[in-house]
Amino acid sequence: MSENRLEIRNLHARIEGGAEILKGVDLVVPAGEVHALMGQNGSGKSTLAKVMAGDPSYEITDGDILIDGESILEMEPDERARAGLYLAFQYPVEVPGVSIANFLRLALNARREDDDEIGVMEFYEKLQRAVKELNWDESIIERNLHEGFSGGEKKRSEILQLLVLEPKYAILDETDSGLDVDALKVVSQGVNAARGANFGALVITHYQRLLNYIVPDKVHVMSDGRIITTGEKELAMQLDDKGYDWIKSEVASGAAPA
Amino acid sequence: MATLTDNPLLSAGALEAVIRNGGDPEWLAEERRAALRTFMATPWPTERDEDWRYTQLDRFSVTNLEPTDGPASREVSERIRMRMEDSDAEGILVHANGETIERIAKIREEGVIFSDLRSAVRDHEDLVREHLYSTVNAHAGKYHALNAAFWQNGTFVYVPKNVEVELPLGAFTTADRGGLSMGRTLIVVEDNAKVTFLDEYTSDPFDARLFHGAATELVLGPGAKVRYLSLQNWGRNVAHMNRLAAKLGRDARLESLTVSVGGDAARAEVNSSMQGPGSESEMLGLYFADKGQHYNQYTLQHHEADHAFSDVLFKGALRDASHAVYSGIIVVDEGAQKTDAYQTNRNLLLDAESEAVSIPQLQIGANDVRCSHGSTTGPVPEDQRFYLMSRGMQPEVAEHLLVTGFLYEVMSRVTLPKAAEYVERVVQAKLGVPGVKEKL
Ligand SMILES: Nc1ncnc2c1ncn2[C@@H]1O[C@H](COP(=O)(O)OP(=O)(O)OP(=O)(O)O)[C@@H](O)[C@H]1O
Ligand SMILES: [Mg+2]
Repeated sequence: MSENRLEIRNLHARIEGGAEILKGVDLVVPAGEVHALMGQNGSGKSTLAKVMAGDPSYEITDGDILIDGESILEMEPDERARAGLYLAFQYPVEVPGVSIANFLRLALNARREDDDEIGVMEFYEKLQRAVKELNWDESIIERNLHEGFSGGEKKRSEILQLLVLEPKYAILDETDSGLDVDALKVVSQGVNAARGANFGALVITHYQRLLNYIVPDKVHVMSDGRIITTGEKELAMQLDDKGYDWIKSEVASGAAPA
Repeated sequence: MATLTDNPLLSAGALEAVIRNGGDPEWLAEERRAALRTFMATPWPTERDEDWRYTQLDRFSVTNLEPTDGPASREVSERIRMRMEDSDAEGILVHANGETIERIAKIREEGVIFSDLRSAVRDHEDLVREHLYSTVNAHAGKYHALNAAFWQNGTFVYVPKNVEVELPLGAFTTADRGGLSMGRTLIVVEDNAKVTFLDEYTSDPFDARLFHGAATELVLGPGAKVRYLSLQNWGRNVAHMNRLAAKLGRDARLESLTVSVGGDAARAEVNSSMQGPGSESEMLGLYFADKGQHYNQYTLQHHEADHAFSDVLFKGALRDASHAVYSGIIVVDEGAQKTDAYQTNRNLLLDAESEAVSIPQLQIGANDVRCSHGSTTGPVPEDQRFYLMSRGMQPEVAEHLLVTGFLYEVMSRVTLPKAAEYVERVVQAKLGVPGVKEKL
């Protein structure tokens, strides 16, 4: 079996000292595939995403997270990122006084050796290519990171960063929420541009409409801190139609695979 | 405890030597003697004084200074040479150990005077006499009385009516000896004239303790425009006490920036008096303290006339058990209607051992005004740190970015690109950003 994958094993996590939120998550995203993660509000999707990225406000009480067979549990968030993981946040923070260009240059250099900083020309070409891919105005790179950005612009920025940083595994947490149809197409185009044998993604969403553009290889459904079922892309459509109570009872009755 | 008068550096006899050596005219000698009397009669500030609360006064002590023996070097140091080469100034003075050792001036504009203060007393006596001690004098407080009596040399700038000096002027003040040094800057800008001035304090570290007292007097005539930058980047053995006071005529505009990055302890007092209607004073401050440095800042926005504007923005970052105090007051006199005055202080604490105290105050005597003040002090927002690290940045890179980002609000308002670049470099070197030279 190929080790080329993002894997979560029996993951339990809670807010530092609080109640358990993730109650045993098992999930595998092989490189080359895009999986969707769906589930009701509060089911634990963002928590899973942040725990994977190493958010220090959560505590892992059991289980493991592996990139290509290597556990990343002991790694700091920056080490995980340099190991190839990328999280497009549901709510990207504003960082005042830091321009997108400067930020991305430093983020790229952080992945390289001290004496091997990216050339200015090479960097700007890369950045401009990504900006163009997203149909964005070039002036955006001089703006401060998310300062005064609309909700949609923030989401677009998360994808811009993904295109520039070229991670091996990306988690997109509701990158489609708050986007109009045009922006949705642009963002999907960005993700599809990253697709390839060496890229795996977990796309968290509430809406089938995103999955029309980013067609998933698998769909996982989360409920109360666990993956309750996994299916093909049609599952997303059924969920859209029939809702979460339906899938829960299907799982309970054994009609859907648990 | 030793009293001040125990310090032979500060005796009446020492003062007579200063007067004699400088060949002061009688009026100046009398001013100095009067200042010494005021100094003797003024008690040292204590922590109980409102303006000095939380100040670590022992770090500004002048009683335990050992003057370095032997003749002072009159060579311009490598450090200053590099800074001179990096500057695009039309005129530069270098003051070392209280003496002026270099003057380079290629000033093209008619009638501009740019000289060391002692020479100006001799060559432009009436002008100096009219303005010297007009904004910072012995009554400004104990330390300033000391400066008013003992200042050794300094800088004099005069810009006549309607003359705009295109490139900046500047002075570097440095030292390689311990003891006491006192400098003074007097800048007089007549009606509708314009100038930019940079006062930079810098030194290579040396063993003995140095106390440097600085006074800057800015006199802005109607419609005058002045940009003034005070950049304190002394070696770690220096205590720096600085008072900048400006009076602004009708429709004059002052943009000042006070930077504290060096020294062991530094106090900057920044004072603008809006004496003319419609005058404007932007007062920026930036500090970055580490390894136990103590920075102390005090601002006064005094609105004497109507329709004037003033805006204080002081921002600083602290780490390694450093300490900062900001205290500031907006005073609006009776009749200063339509005043627009703002005051903001923000501190970023990079570790739990560092501490910042902020005391903003208002004292408003007119009823039709717009004033606001505010302050915040807090650690680096964890969500911002996590976000940057989630993009692969090592913790120290993330911290560097958060500090420069935090200071950006001030830096982005500095309209002197060369100076802004340098300040940014100094901050980065202090942050330990790879590739930025430590020695600046
Ligand atoms: N930092 C936190 N402090 C307190 N409770 C938290 C925290 N993070 C998550 N929770 C709780 O954990 C549960 C899961 O939240 P999470 O944000 O992971 O849900 P989600 O599936 O992403 O929901 P949504 O679809 O609304 O984004 C919720 O009940 C939430 O209130
Ligand atoms: Mg969520």
